[in-house]
Amino acid sequence: MKYASLVFRSLFRHRLRTLLTLSFLALSVFLVALMQGFLGTLDALTTSSASGSRLVVQDKASFTNVIPESYGNFLRAQPEIEAVTQFQWFGGEYKDPKNFFANFAVQKDTYLQVYREEAGVDLLPPEGVRDFLQDGNGCIVGKSLADKYGWKVGDVVPLRSPIFNLSVRLNVRAIFQGKRQSDEQALVFGLKQIQEAVPWMKGRVGSFVVRVKSSQDIPKLCERIDRNFANASPETLSMSENAFNLNMMKMFGDFGTMLHSITSAVLVAILLVTASTMAMTIRERSTQIAVLRALGFTAGKVMGLLLAEGLLLALMGGLLGLGLAVLAAKVTAGLASAILPWMADFYIPPDTLLLCLVGTLAMGLLSTFVPAYQATRKPIVEALRAL
Amino acid sequence: MSNSGNDGNAGSNGGNGGGNGGNGEPIIRLRDLAKSYYRGSLEIPVLTGIDLDIPRGGYYALMGPSGSGKTTLLNLLAGIDRPTGGELEVCGYRLNDFDDNELASWRATNVGFIFQNYNLIPVLNAYENIELPLLLTELSRAQRRERVLEALQLVNLTEQMQHFPRQLSGGQEQRVAIARAIVHDPDLIVADEPTGALDAKNAEEALNLIQHLNEELGKTIVMVTHDPKAARHAHIQIHLEKGVLDRTVEVHELPPREPLLGGRVPH
Repeated sequence: MKYASLVFRSLFRHRLRTLLTLSFLALSVFLVALMQGFLGTLDALTTSSASGSRLVVQDKASFTNVIPESYGNFLRAQPEIEAVTQFQWFGGEYKDPKNFFANFAVQKDTYLQVYREEAGVDLLPPEGVRDFLQDGNGCIVGKSLADKYGWKVGDVVPLRSPIFNLSVRLNVRAIFQGKRQSDEQALVFGLKQIQEAVPWMKGRVGSFVVRVKSSQDIPKLCERIDRNFANASPETLSMSENAFNLNMMKMFGDFGTMLHSITSAVLVAILLVTASTMAMTIRERSTQIAVLRALGFTAGKVMGLLLAEGLLLALMGGLLGLGLAVLAAKVTAGLASAILPWMADFYIPPDTLLLCLVGTLAMGLLSTFVPAYQATRKPIVEALRAL
Repeated sequence: MSNSGNDGNAGSNGGNGGGNGGNGEPIIRLRDLAKSYYRGSLEIPVLTGIDLDIPRGGYYALMGPSGSGKTTLLNLLAGIDRPTGGELEVCGYRLNDFDDNELASWRATNVGFIFQNYNLIPVLNAYENIELPLLLTELSRAQRRERVLEALQLVNLTEQMQHFPRQLSGGQEQRVAIARAIVHDPDLIVADEPTGALDAKNAEEALNLIQHLNEELGKTIVMVTHDPKAARHAHIQIHLEKGVLDRTVEVHELPPREPLLGGRVPH
């Protein structure tokens, strides 16, 4: 600790240069942490354990097409299957097109079996479940969504869907608490309302979501289902829900590769900029370094002091960047979840924060090592002569 | 100051080129000391055949024209450069045998440096600059403070202890450097053109201070200088010419040695 003052003051010898380097470091760490947090959120979306026990059956040509409701009979007859529900994206707007959130039309009773974790079935009041199932216009709403619009049980929620050119008035019968915040961003109501009001939806569903007894059965089940409807019209495409989510993500592009590439580029930039700053600051002080060594500081001790400067720079930049990233993640989660419900879960996990910090410190050490090594290996008399 | 000392031929003094400019056993003992630099395979000799004894408590001025090897000799005595030949014994240690870390540790204990350009650390204030050599010791913070304050008092800069080098005059900077050289109570103080960057008044003050370290505190001083006035403060002037000892001039004798600052600092 007796060297702390020397290290700190040496680091801020050129205040502007150090502050600019710190800002660059903080911005870089901020970007890396956000990107890695985003990748982690995507990863969680496509690998969640509940999703792992479900599969989706859709039209082979496109998930936007509908398939016959009767396909469900074959699905329910399979021994590996626990429950089957019908599923249809409604795309309803609440009062104004800007009030956009996830709303689905489902087969009510089976939905609560297939999505029991997401709908927090164990926490739902029995009378709420009963009312939801009995009321043709009944719906259940996630707590976060209900809080956002101030909905309570008994309220009427009008929704207008441009997809079906249909307006519905739904009675809030229960408010559910999901396992994750993103689960609570949805409104769910009965598919029958659409099937009765929209002629081309009669006897049809968007897709089936199937809960299986064992996730190990999913591959063979998918294969069996698609083989069964191979010559039907339409044919089906079955996949695990995780794979389905992944496909949805891929519609926006290959985020993983893109973000990993950007992360790598940013890390290289951190290394180069920090190395350049440290090389400059160490070269400028070659005489001072020689003086310290003449006074009796060993090369190793001087090297330690210089490395400590690099570490301190990286630590300050890293902490600043990570702090900003955590704040930005919170804000982003709040704003983006209105459009992408799964973004409500967007946060930067502690292990990602730690990894980013360790990575930044490693960059700080690495970038300081070479100039520090060179400076401390230079003969003292040579460095003193350079004055 | 007297310059009426005895002129002598360094070479003819054999192993005692230092004459009688000190008291007791030699603190510096050089035998056939040589230093060469190499440019590729080309050897450039800077010092050759230096035989010299400097007694404890001596005040020696190394003089000679540019390129005569006086700074190189000072660097060797101070342990910041290595000889290419001969024997180098300072403060009871044969420096030829030391590795870099041992030399650093030896310097921390035995040598105080005064440079021409002061070489203070600009981001540290006067107090912290003086404290630097003590950071290498086992002294507590309070003990370090006590010694730094004593050294500040010695150079009469107590009021400027919080000032940074840019806030000090050249003379004050050199006094801080002198305090830094003495704070850990080394036996040997080496000064390389300590007045080279100072005006006449400040140069005289610095020289008086260095003389005080020698006369009152018993420090052995070896000073490189071009300035005959500065050299007259020393007891012995050693003149080098083309890398060899040319002659010594005894100026005057020095008083007996006394301890400083509560004795040696534990390292």
